[in-house]
Amino acid sequence: MTLLALALPLLGAALAWFLPGRLAVAGALVSGIATFVMAVFLPNMGSVSLAWLPALGAEFAFDPSGVRSVLVIAAALTMVPTLIAASRLGADRRNTFLALLLLMQTTLNGLFLSTDLIVTYVFWEATLIPSLFLLGLFGGEHRRGAVTKYLVYAITGSFLMLASILALRPLSGAASYAFVDLLPATRELDVVVQTWLFAGFAAAFAVKLPLFPLHSWLIDFHRQNHPSGVADVGGTLYKVGGFGFFAWAIPLLPDGAAAFQPLLLTLAAVTALWGGLAATQQKDFKSMLAYMSLSHMGVVGVGVFSMTTFGLTGAMFLLAAQMISTGGLFLASGMLHDRAGTFDFDAFGGLAKSAPALAALFLFTLFAAIGVPGLSNFPGEFLSLLGAFEATPWLGVVAALGSVVAAGVYGVNTYQRLFLGPAGERRSDVAGLDVLILAPIVAGILWLGLAPAPQVDRIEATASVAVVTQVEAPIPPSLALGGER
Amino acid sequence: MTDPAAWLIFAPALALTGALINGLFGRALKEPLPGILATLVAAGAFVLSLIAFVALQGRDDPTVAVTVWPYLNLAGLDLSIGAVIDPLSVLMMLVITGVGTLIHLYSMGYMHGDAGYARYFALLNLFVAAMSILVLADSFLLMFVGWEGVGVSSFLLIGFWYATKANADAARKAFIVNRIGDLGLMFAMFLMVGVFGTLTIAEVNAEAVTMAFGSGMLALIGLLLLLAATGKSAQLPLQVWLPDAMAGPTPVSALIHAATMVTAGVYLIARTAPLFAMTPLASAVVAWVGAATALIAALAALGQTDIKKILAYSTISQLGFMFVAVGVGAYWVGIFHVFTHAFFKALLFLGSGSVIHALGGEQDIRKMGGLGAKMRITGTTSLIATLAIAGVPFLSGFFSKDAILVYTLTSMHVEGFGTTALYGVLLVTAVLTAFYMFRWYYGIFGGESRMDAKVEANVHESPLTMTVPLTILAFFSVVAGYVGLPKFAFPNWIYPWLDQATLGGLTEVPFHHPAVWVEWTLIGVSVAAAVVGLALGWWVYASREGEPVRSLAEGPLAALSRSGLGFDAAYRTVVIGGAEGSAEAVTVLDRDVVDRGLLGFGAALGFLGRIAALLQNGFVRAYAYAMYAGAAILVLVVAWLGVRS
Repeated sequence: MTLLALALPLLGAALAWFLPGRLAVAGALVSGIATFVMAVFLPNMGSVSLAWLPALGAEFAFDPSGVRSVLVIAAALTMVPTLIAASRLGADRRNTFLALLLLMQTTLNGLFLSTDLIVTYVFWEATLIPSLFLLGLFGGEHRRGAVTKYLVYAITGSFLMLASILALRPLSGAASYAFVDLLPATRELDVVVQTWLFAGFAAAFAVKLPLFPLHSWLIDFHRQNHPSGVADVGGTLYKVGGFGFFAWAIPLLPDGAAAFQPLLLTLAAVTALWGGLAATQQKDFKSMLAYMSLSHMGVVGVGVFSMTTFGLTGAMFLLAAQMISTGGLFLASGMLHDRAGTFDFDAFGGLAKSAPALAALFLFTLFAAIGVPGLSNFPGEFLSLLGAFEATPWLGVVAALGSVVAAGVYGVNTYQRLFLGPAGERRSDVAGLDVLILAPIVAGILWLGLAPAPQVDRIEATASVAVVTQVEAPIPPSLALGGER
Repeated sequence: MTDPAAWLIFAPALALTGALINGLFGRALKEPLPGILATLVAAGAFVLSLIAFVALQGRDDPTVAVTVWPYLNLAGLDLSIGAVIDPLSVLMMLVITGVGTLIHLYSMGYMHGDAGYARYFALLNLFVAAMSILVLADSFLLMFVGWEGVGVSSFLLIGFWYATKANADAARKAFIVNRIGDLGLMFAMFLMVGVFGTLTIAEVNAEAVTMAFGSGMLALIGLLLLLAATGKSAQLPLQVWLPDAMAGPTPVSALIHAATMVTAGVYLIARTAPLFAMTPLASAVVAWVGAATALIAALAALGQTDIKKILAYSTISQLGFMFVAVGVGAYWVGIFHVFTHAFFKALLFLGSGSVIHALGGEQDIRKMGGLGAKMRITGTTSLIATLAIAGVPFLSGFFSKDAILVYTLTSMHVEGFGTTALYGVLLVTAVLTAFYMFRWYYGIFGGESRMDAKVEANVHESPLTMTVPLTILAFFSVVAGYVGLPKFAFPNWIYPWLDQATLGGLTEVPFHHPAVWVEWTLIGVSVAAAVVGLALGWWVYASREGEPVRSLAEGPLAALSRSGLGFDAAYRTVVIGGAEGSAEAVTVLDRDVVDRGLLGFGAALGFLGRIAALLQNGFVRAYAYAMYAGAAILVLVVAWLGVRS
């Protein structure tokens, strides 16, 4: 049953590719919705493993437990409105677009669910393909440069990770590349070896997270992607970086992770502040969203690298929540572009007058994105920052300056520039498909914001949290401050 | 749920429902339906508050805790959502929903014919919901939901008339300054998790009193809570947003920026009274922040010419009095002043609204005067409120302000931190208060008219929906103080009601008990402060010929006062300049250095540059090659390993 998470979107991609005209759209939508429905039941499904290359110690093993299914659900929830938005594109290349989006979902789900390191690497590389095609085929006029930059960063990182993966098994003597076989063996490795191996993984994951100063591909990626915002939602990869650290690098190589922790935690805190500050200065909406995403990823980073239960759990929750809220904003960016033909802030203003419903929906999503409590991002952001604060208080403060104060600034600035002020040109309000696109986003924001407990419990139960927090002891806990009791 | 007091948890839900209905369907509803609906919702919440109030009377343990929703539970940290219904939260709820209902009613007249009529009432209900959550919360996390929730609704209401850039700017400023304060509450929570392992308010309080008295950790948590409180309550150094917030509709200024939301900081400190009772240092900082704010805001109020800005600075100043009260350890006194202030300050704002309404939007008191005869109800009720805030005996403000003065002088909790100096500052501020409030009243209602003839011809008393709330508020501005008569000689109801709820019997804060004649003398001094201030006001403005209000609105000192003592300008240079400078630096660095990043570095090595050049030749083909090569290496190596094992 778990394999349906891969089979359904793959089938949808095939339908979208091969069926003619409107039928392709129908096929894509049905498979997108079916994937979401299936994803809701995913946590209760069992793990599967199919023999692949037994002699090589690699097998198709998928496990829907814990954080894995949470991410699949969030991705599936976001995919439905993304497909609806994509279905509005011009008929000539629409079906290609839909097929690539669903292919992306297939490979992402494979990456999230796989418990075999080799298979994970295959999906890791495979996710690049649809993402690159979306950018390369549908991007803006400078897409070539964006693609090149993206590839250089991604390939450099992946190459180093590949080296680490290959060295992992012979060095540790693990029986196979399955997580459960690797785990006891790799943890026993000498700290120097662990540090080198961790560096290889970290190179790949830090690029994708992305972590300052490896983030510049992300900005070009968003600036050059299709103005509908669809590829920015369905084609983004940066959610895989944090997951990679969480599910693989840190639990397998705890001593290596501990050696890198001060550096990575610092970089992540800087990322959160850097992205937040830069977001306040952008002159167009999409660049603002790119830097906002960067800032969010910095918060994910401080959560993960705090290596505390609060931080790790919060970071994964934030990944899921961020997919929905930031996704909603990118889809809204497409709607704004539809109406004004540009992302330039100067072309907007006073939209609330002619499009009050769009203003309300937009503000709701924006407030979710900047971490207003009661909405989706808050639990993740709060727990991530709490974890960072427990690990290194001043880095928690740095990250919070970016994700709370700077977020307040770019949040209300953006809303004001787009929607407030003297009524500008008359634009149409949301109607029809717009509502269908934003409704799942609003529902998702409320769902994660008001009832985070089930997802948090799942994430907490994920083996790697328990594994990682065993290494918490040598890290000076919060406790330095509380010691005087 | 068999306990009627527990029904109060439905108040936020009720208000939220009202907000949703008006927000989603308001545009389809004809005026005055949205107004009626919202007012009924607020009144319903008030009835629930009254029921809870009555139900709690006479109980040995007047605290009802209700767990509503399991929000989060992680690593031993239980973050369930629940409500605490106790004397403190119920009293706050009575004010919020009681004054709130009157202001809803008033708004039906004030907002008549506005294009955003339904949106206005949706937001007003949303505010009531958020504020109810803030005061009913049993944990800091849920309080934070309300805390940011009132910030959000305040943002939307300050910028209600968003087509004017100045209004939207004011809303943005309020939101950002509040977020800086919110940071304090967030960090305080982080420390509490580390130190106490809980965010439940009652548990934190109970744990705090077991720690070493005066410990540095408690002081740090206290100071972070204070940072949060200064943001919401517009105290130094975060006071700058409140005067600008007057850009919102006047009833909003009355409800949110005078009577309720801005008192959240005082409430926060009273709610954590046991913690502050353990840390004289943080308490003293609270008191001094309050005293300094009270004085500075009073000085700023002297030179304002906008009818609402005078009141805005007056609110900041009065909140400073409340901070001194909770700082010196007289928690019940702080809340007592919240209670009385809510009536007369809401009344002052609604009176202003009535005047602005009658004058077709005019807000400059230099263009008013002589309105008392033309607007009898507005004039009379405003006079009552003016005398109440000035501290004239037998009106509500006198009793609470006098209590603050007395408790400040007799505090043992912060005795080493200059209680006499605190008392002196407050006394001077009390004189100033009576002085500038006389100027406010006389400039609007007294003397000769300075209005344009055209405006003057249209002056009229406001409709009943507006004058009825004025009258009711005037009644309470007179009597509200009698719940807290000086307790050395008279019955005092509010002290036992609140003292138990704030300190919870966990600890005590000691005060000196001076002889009875000293107490009477202190009361005499309070009376004198009010009389001197009013007399000075009369002497400066009313006893002279010519244009009374202009006499203190010109010259360099008046300009300094009008600018709020230059805080805005200083912040614009130092804080905003610094923040924008670093943001610009980041943006430039990001574009010119980081962006070259790996590519530039690779080019320098000659290696990645070549890959990049290769990829330029056609990314699809190149990527296929790259993938191919990668997969080939992978399979080869894995195969080799497999064979070897």
